[in-house]
Amino acid sequence: MARVITITSGKGGVGKTTTTANLGTALAMRGSRVAVIDADIGLRNLDVVMGLENRIVYDLVDVVEGRARLRQALIKDKRLPELCLLPAAQTRDKDAVSPEHMIDLTNQLRNDFDFVLIDSPAGIEGGFRNAIAGADEVIIVTTPEVSAVRDADRIVGLVEAAEKGPPSLIVNRIKPRLVSRGEMLSVDDVLELLMITLVGIVPDDETIVTSTNRGEAAVYDQSSTAGKAFLNIARRLNGDEVPFLALQEQPGVIERLMGIFGRRRP
Amino acid sequence: MSDLISIKGGRDGLRMRFDDSAEWGSLVEQLERQLAQSQAFFNGARLTLDLGDRAVSEAQLAELLDLMRQHGVVADALSANARESRNAARAAGITARPLPRYPDPVPGAAPASGESEALLLTRTVRSGQVVRHSGHITLIGDVNPGGEVIAGGSVIVWGRLRGFVHAGALGNSEALVCAIELHPTQLRIADQIATAPKGDRHHVPEVARIEAGQIVVESWESYKR
Repeated sequence: MARVITITSGKGGVGKTTTTANLGTALAMRGSRVAVIDADIGLRNLDVVMGLENRIVYDLVDVVEGRARLRQALIKDKRLPELCLLPAAQTRDKDAVSPEHMIDLTNQLRNDFDFVLIDSPAGIEGGFRNAIAGADEVIIVTTPEVSAVRDADRIVGLVEAAEKGPPSLIVNRIKPRLVSRGEMLSVDDVLELLMITLVGIVPDDETIVTSTNRGEAAVYDQSSTAGKAFLNIARRLNGDEVPFLALQEQPGVIERLMGIFGRRRP
Repeated sequence: MSDLISIKGGRDGLRMRFDDSAEWGSLVEQLERQLAQSQAFFNGARLTLDLGDRAVSEAQLAELLDLMRQHGVVADALSANARESRNAARAAGITARPLPRYPDPVPGAAPASGESEALLLTRTVRSGQVVRHSGHITLIGDVNPGGEVIAGGSVIVWGRLRGFVHAGALGNSEALVCAIELHPTQLRIADQIATAPKGDRHHVPEVARIEAGQIVVESWESYKR
């Protein structure tokens, strides 16, 4: 029986789709059978990030409206045979799907997969409600920005109200240097406010831009620190105890001098 | 509140009780005055109407609901003994219930005035969530930015208060706001408004109250002297 996990955030642009693509790939690399669903109907993205855009024949709305069977719509990944994508429709909007459809859809996938990851649209309206309807667990992605954390807090409340249990958290795009200078919220600051379980810290990493543009997950790239962080999250989802990556960059000369003259309070 | 209309907060939210015998016109007038007076408390509120034994027609109830809607109040449910009132509620699309039977008050017990009732909560009030109560509110937990706590009486937060807080929202200027870390985005007591000074965060428990018509904040240590 698959675990159905929805990846959501409230705020747009914090890395939900990148996270879904990388976690899905990482879990499949580790031998799980994984289906990723793009629930952002009308703003299809996950297929592009996974480099599967040109293989789409049917999409989620085709399945819901009976034009295709689920099996026909699932696209196999280029490299990993155990990884499938159910793409969103690009020419329709959120109203084409209901929460009942999503529950039905995820239940159909449960027997054939170990993990079903759902990429949620931003916002707190219908699209978000559809995305969490079939979920057993919810992972919230946030960046260490006040506005993103505020939205994540709102989402935590909504997820709890939907009785999905306490969600877990990925803090994305941490810049260790800014944090150590007290110019960016630290992971601790974010946790102090949200008070939910942390499953991952992903550093800000330029290789993410190139890998998403190429349609290749960052987890394939040995040199990518973000890719390493996503692999670690996949291991934690499998139940392994993995310490969080040490994100302390080598301090620059100025910081070291500041260190000599005493620490400023954050 | 007045003698004709009383507001009570209970486990299942706010309850607005209308006097049984008063003339309808004066009741409506009174309601309008109170909603206007305590705008800050009522705006966005959802409550249960308690009509007691009074029989209300569809037209009368529609008038009442319309008035409440204008002030941002939504009636979720109605409880009444008279069948006519319950039918009117159903016609307006509101859940109708017969009045629950409360046990007779124990002789000598304190009168159940709004202020004496306090609400105790153990949770985090997150962004977008509102806790509203006609009496005092004691919260064991944090109020995050974007969260709101609105009380007719005082507000005690055993935790960090970083959201919006309004004590004495029904007009009581004696109300207090206390928190282990008092750093609200905005703090109101009765009709006074204050914002936390930028930057400096005190990590000591503080108390806010009205003194000489202004909100003042001081540490618990100096307040108790």
